[in-house]
Amino acid sequence: MRRPALTAAALTGALALTGALALAGCSGSGTDAEPDAGSGKAKLSVSSPYMPQPVSADMAAGFLTIANDGGAGDELTGVSSEVAGQVTMHSTVGGAMAEKSSFAVPAHGRLVFRSGGDHLMFEQLTRKPRQGQTVTVKLTFAKSAPLTVEMPVKSATYNPSTGH
Amino acid sequence: MRKKTFAAAVLLAAATLTLSACGSGDSGDSPVAVVDGGSGSKRAATVLDQPFTKPDLVLTDTHGKKYDLREETKGHPTLVYFGYTHCPDVCPTTMSNIAVAKQKLPKSEQDDLRVVFVTTDPGRDTPAELGKWLKGIDPDFIGLTGDFAAVKAGARTVGISVEPTSKDKNGKLVSVHGTQVIAFSPKTDAGYVLYGESATVDDYTRDLPKLVKGAKP
Repeated sequence: MRRPALTAAALTGALALTGALALAGCSGSGTDAEPDAGSGKAKLSVSSPYMPQPVSADMAAGFLTIANDGGAGDELTGVSSEVAGQVTMHSTVGGAMAEKSSFAVPAHGRLVFRSGGDHLMFEQLTRKPRQGQTVTVKLTFAKSAPLTVEMPVKSATYNPSTGH
Repeated sequence: MRKKTFAAAVLLAAATLTLSACGSGDSGDSPVAVVDGGSGSKRAATVLDQPFTKPDLVLTDTHGKKYDLREETKGHPTLVYFGYTHCPDVCPTTMSNIAVAKQKLPKSEQDDLRVVFVTTDPGRDTPAELGKWLKGIDPDFIGLTGDFAAVKAGARTVGISVEPTSKDKNGKLVSVHGTQVIAFSPKTDAGYVLYGESATVDDYTRDLPKLVKGAKP
């Protein structure tokens, strides 16, 4: 008696999920922070995340792009991860990096963390991330809801422009 | 009952497909277009009209022994980089790119090549720390540490400006790395090619066979 009931519940759930996923998939962006596409709100999505496999278990870098398709700007105010005691955000100018407490994600613009430029720094690693694994990263914003990103660990020499 | 479970699974699969079908257009802003155009068309190497003299650096290697750069690397193809180990991004990437490219050389050329990492953060990069870090990249790489003033002076002779490690407003130590790798010729011992930090593993792989012979890439 119990089993059919569960299955029916699962079916209902799957149907609901179908609607939700179809909606999210077709609304123009993979990981919406705000379902509302109105021009007065930031509309954030994350692409191309990766972490080069670090040399040691001391620290690692992470890179990603946050696009804002909305009509209002937002700010990335925090980053955290299960693999790190602390994740900090840095800008890099001429070989010197400086920690920043937030980065702007402009309206109709992008915030790009890339090798040699702005980057995320993972410290106090709980384990050494290895190529082929993924690291869960949570991004928090001044206005939009947080985004969770599965960041793949690539080789130490990975370059997104060559793809290897 | 079994049928219903299947129905749910099918619906779920359909939903997933819908998502990925619609989603695929959104996430492809960078990779696809760049695959072919990128590193092939633009050379990473800068060949200098007026080569640099090899810096007169006498420092301490990862075994704690005195290391005279000019004496030890004389007649060997040599790559020199100024960086520090508490560096998450450019320093490990640069050294890893060279390490991977080096593996493609014939064994005798690998043995001939000297890759020297000079720390800009001698306070934290002791011989032991430096040794441990380089071991994770290539155990044959040479790590040098010592007096910061000597490192800075040596870097300046090859056009690289570094500053001592300082504390930022949160009390965290911040160091500075060089932005270039300098290749020294085995024939002249002069630094004749520069690589910026955007040089990829492919760039080094393509150029190292020339550099080990002192040829222009």
